[in-house]
Amino acid sequence: MATMVSSAGGLLAMLNESHPLLKLHALSNLNNLVDIFWPEISTSVPVIESLYEDEEFDQHQRQLAALVASKVFYYLGELNDSLSYALGAGSLFDVSEDSDYVHTLLAKAIDEYANLKSKAAESNNDATNVDPRLEAIVERMLNKCILDGKYQQAMGIAIECRRLDKLEEAITKSDNVHGTLSYCINVSHSFVNLREYRHEVLRLLVKVYQKLPSPDYLSICQCLMFLDEPEGVASILEKLLRSENKDDALLAFQIAFDLVENEHQAFLINVRDRLSTPKAQPSEPEQPRSSEADSAQNQSSAPDDAQMTDGSSVSNVNTRDADPSEVLYAERLTKIKGILSGETSIQLTLQFLYSHNKSDLLILKTIKQSVEMRNSVCHSATIYANAIMHAGTTVDTFLRENLDWLSRATNWAKFSATAGLGVIHRGHLQQGRSLMAPYLPQGGAGGGGSPYSEGGALYALGLIHANHGEGIKQFLRDSLRSTNVEVIQHGACLGLGLAALGTADEDIYDDIKSVLYTDSAVAGEGAGISMGLLMVGTASEKASEMLTYAHETQHEKIIRGLALGIALTVYGREEEADTLIEQMTRDQDPILRYGGMYALALAYSGTANNKAIRQLLHFAVSDVSDDVRRTAVLALGFVLYSEPEQTPRIVSLLSESYNPHVRYGAALAVGISCAGTGLSEAISLLEPLTSDVVDFVRQGALIAMAMVMVQISEASDSRVGTFRRQLEKIILDKHEDTMSKMGAILASGILDAGGRNVTIRLLSKTKHDKVTAVVGLAVFSQFWYWYPLIYFISLSFSPTAFIGLNYDLKVPRFEFLSHARPSLFEYPKPTMVPTTTSAVKLPTAVLSTSAKAKARAKKEAELKANAEKSSGAESSSSGANTGKGKSFTEKDGEAMQVDVPTEKKSEPEPSFEILTNPARVVPAQEKCIKFLEESRYVPVKLAPSGFVLLRDLRPTEPEVLSLTDTPSSTASTAGASAAGQQGSVSAMAVDEEPQPPQPFEFTS
Amino acid sequence: MDPKLTEVSQLFERFKAAFIRKDFNTCENFLSQLKVLLTGFRSLPPLFEDTPNAVHELTLARDIYEHAVVLSVKVEDQDAFERDFFQLKPYYTDARNRLPQSPQEYPILGLNLLRLLVQNRIAEFHTELELLSSTALENPCIKHAVELEQSFMEGAYNRVLSARQTVPHETYVYFMDLLAKTVRDEIAGCSEKAYDYLSISNARQMLLFTSDKELLNYIEEEHPEWEIKDGSVYFQKAKESAPCKEIPSLQLINQTLSYARELERIV
Repeated sequence: MATMVSSAGGLLAMLNESHPLLKLHALSNLNNLVDIFWPEISTSVPVIESLYEDEEFDQHQRQLAALVASKVFYYLGELNDSLSYALGAGSLFDVSEDSDYVHTLLAKAIDEYANLKSKAAESNNDATNVDPRLEAIVERMLNKCILDGKYQQAMGIAIECRRLDKLEEAITKSDNVHGTLSYCINVSHSFVNLREYRHEVLRLLVKVYQKLPSPDYLSICQCLMFLDEPEGVASILEKLLRSENKDDALLAFQIAFDLVENEHQAFLINVRDRLSTPKAQPSEPEQPRSSEADSAQNQSSAPDDAQMTDGSSVSNVNTRDADPSEVLYAERLTKIKGILSGETSIQLTLQFLYSHNKSDLLILKTIKQSVEMRNSVCHSATIYANAIMHAGTTVDTFLRENLDWLSRATNWAKFSATAGLGVIHRGHLQQGRSLMAPYLPQGGAGGGGSPYSEGGALYALGLIHANHGEGIKQFLRDSLRSTNVEVIQHGACLGLGLAALGTADEDIYDDIKSVLYTDSAVAGEGAGISMGLLMVGTASEKASEMLTYAHETQHEKIIRGLALGIALTVYGREEEADTLIEQMTRDQDPILRYGGMYALALAYSGTANNKAIRQLLHFAVSDVSDDVRRTAVLALGFVLYSEPEQTPRIVSLLSESYNPHVRYGAALAVGISCAGTGLSEAISLLEPLTSDVVDFVRQGALIAMAMVMVQISEASDSRVGTFRRQLEKIILDKHEDTMSKMGAILASGILDAGGRNVTIRLLSKTKHDKVTAVVGLAVFSQFWYWYPLIYFISLSFSPTAFIGLNYDLKVPRFEFLSHARPSLFEYPKPTMVPTTTSAVKLPTAVLSTSAKAKARAKKEAELKANAEKSSGAESSSSGANTGKGKSFTEKDGEAMQVDVPTEKKSEPEPSFEILTNPARVVPAQEKCIKFLEESRYVPVKLAPSGFVLLRDLRPTEPEVLSLTDTPSSTASTAGASAAGQQGSVSAMAVDEEPQPPQPFEFTS
Repeated sequence: MDPKLTEVSQLFERFKAAFIRKDFNTCENFLSQLKVLLTGFRSLPPLFEDTPNAVHELTLARDIYEHAVVLSVKVEDQDAFERDFFQLKPYYTDARNRLPQSPQEYPILGLNLLRLLVQNRIAEFHTELELLSSTALENPCIKHAVELEQSFMEGAYNRVLSARQTVPHETYVYFMDLLAKTVRDEIAGCSEKAYDYLSISNARQMLLFTSDKELLNYIEEEHPEWEIKDGSVYFQKAKESAPCKEIPSLQLINQTLSYARELERIV
């Protein structure tokens, strides 16, 4: 509206008139002019306010006055007043109006409302004293959103305001219910900070899901898992398994695999136990069956058998002459129990890692050669690096080839060398025991092995069976009880903690407790951590017991172990842990405060909770102990791993701190939260730290960098290559500090972890925290004090694979497309053998002796190349002067070799790549994965990686399986790894044929 | 002709008749009705729609408000004056290009200036003054007010009081009377600051009273804090011995300490 007046003075004066009609006239005109004349009107606001409060006025007029006042206050920036008057304006406040005023006030109203609601919810006060007018506005807004089809906004507001009724309405009314639901699940994970409330939302979602005509069981089960309701999952699984349709069974398997991926051991066991056993013939009495089940249970946990519950024996016996549907069910039940126990996925992962192992032994060799013999730190670092590089691949070639060198490890180095085997054989559930047998403590005191290797072996068993320790628990307990050597106790405690991760087993706890009460420093430290591992996320009363003991004991090591253990017990409990955290962070003892930092990190892990971040930042700058400050910064990494982009920004200032401990913490925080992302900002932040003046900062930065760059190829970020060269330089440099050298060695291990087929992942694909992984990294970060804890990093490795399975849970031949240049995601090129560099040196020697002959030969070679003559003729011509000729042919060969790649480069690289099941699919590649339409198999769930069940469209044709055999014998591993390297070796093979010409050396 | 307009015109005629009769109560009643009726015209401020009768309506409305202003002076109601004047003002400023100038414009503007002077709102007085054109400043009505203000500022209070005889318009008389009071207040304020006490006769002279009784009444009403004793007026100067501002030492210490602590924490 073009303004015709220069002042609102006249209208304002009219407000003071006595006649109500005049006032109304003035108000309605002011309402139109307020956007321009608010400065003038603002002086008269008291008049308008009094009009609003004037009881004699009619409703409409008062609302109008309120609206004008609200607008004026809005322009004055007094949003609170503005809102309260807007509420007074009632229906005159039009939520659909498209103006800044309305937008701002709506946002304010919703904020206010959400605030009030959440406060009311916190104080458990049902009688909420929320202004009904405010509620009305928010509701109007919600209804409008729903009507306009802006369901996501409506859901966001509803969740924020704790209006689950509206949330449900928004979801059910939306046109794409499935899409909206999955959006809602995402939102509830990333934005709902309160655990309790998140559960409420999820419960609602499950309800909505179940009402749908075609329930999405995958999502329902995910929700149920968050809610920790095994009954629901079990009943869904059973329903699917009992279905006639094969596809339903496939779906059930898929659900099971997805659940397993979240590593929630206790929950999985619960689900498994709730699946009903197949109905037998009615004639069969009830009693024997249960006893049979019991015996099966016993059998599985029998000490001499490390296998998981199979369940097959039970079902086989019972269903011999049952009706066919029961037989079918029993068969499926067996499979699903296998999956739920984690056995199937572990076995398949093992097969995948074994068959796709691409680790580069040459790197290790280089490290081994450059490390000084007597430097035990670097020596064991090399052993750690080897273990990490081959984690889960069962390839221990390097160790076998260097037994002599290995034997230099003594005492604790021996402990970790033995434990390293556990990392290499991680997941080798069936044969773990027998593999470690030579090192394990023999019954009685007669065992000749050193306590260090025995302790290490027990630790190794724990690593092999981490989070799947049902079979091995008993054995470890026995070993723990039968020894009083503290080194063995240490190993056994760690092993037991790993194997029984999060099971909260009272008996084991008591065993470990008795070790703790012996008050031996070494064993006590292990016991402390182990108790925490056992009680992960239970928030049990045990924590206070541990805290009391931490106060009593004199040993720093024990206090530290306990501090970490206590922190582990509150894993993921968020607000529930606040009292304990408060207690620990206020303690006099810096070690307990240090534990408090871990408690904060773990309780709020992956929540990006602002309160936790604030607290950590506060400790990072204010605590008197360097250890606490370092840990506080490091803990930020855990709190923020769900939003890795945030971390570099938050710690960037800290990374420039004057305090090296804080810098170290900042490096690791970035490493932890951005692990495997290859995030550019993270790399930029770490880069300067890798050349810090303080050695341990360099160490931390190198390790963190490796964690960030896991599986990032040089093609996608050139800094990866730079970093690899930097590592090599540091390792080869004689004058480098031991600390950073160790960091570099470990970094090279992590960079190529698990045969270059794993990444560090703290979140599952459904955004659920992976308990094992988080706990693993937390304990790993403790390696500052205790190197053997480095092995805990293996818990956080997850294979980056697409493994498609058919109905029989076998891996059929199946091809799919990666819609990206192959070089983007390929394995790094194997390093060249040093001998090739000496071969390159050769020409200089040749030049000095026979330049002429060479020139001639070159001409000849050109001629020959044109004529395309066979190499035989060439060799005959060079027969005259063998020595020179040989060098010449070699050179020619090299030239040809060079030609081949250039030719390849000249033709454009294909823009896609066909992958064959099972295939390596790195995280960044996941979005490029496409399934071929005419393929024989169709995935049940469109997931680009992980375990995916495939529906067979042509079930009559015979299937071709691509992964069949397990890596049964370790003897074959050497050959296999050689085969894996064959591609790389082919280049060297050419060089090998002619012997390096010795005579030429004298010229130099 | 628009029936509404006719209605307003007729009502206005009756208002004017009453006005001449000096029946001010009736006038106010009519005026109120008129104002309500005026809100029905869309051609009036702030809408200024171009209706066919716009000019006529505007002129009529201006006339009504001008009368309203004069009426308010007659009934000696300053608030009403201000109200009506502000409602009238858009007709002078925003409607300047639509209407021929009103003969009443300058007298009324001058009146307003005088009112501001009386109410001792000097800042607003000057604001208003700045908005006037140079031709307006030449007008005797305006000039009168301007000169008054100058005398007032100079402290030539006798000139102010004598100006009552030279008013350009009969309506000004009311304000001139009020002005005398304003002037007296000024003087009283100054004397209070300037003297500790004054003899009653001097005070009477100073405050331009003709009798001691008037003076005493005045003191009782306006300045009860003054004391009359021994034939003199004692000005109880609010002898607040302006307490020297205390240094907020504790606060400063706290601040400095917290700075020191923060410095320690700098990473």
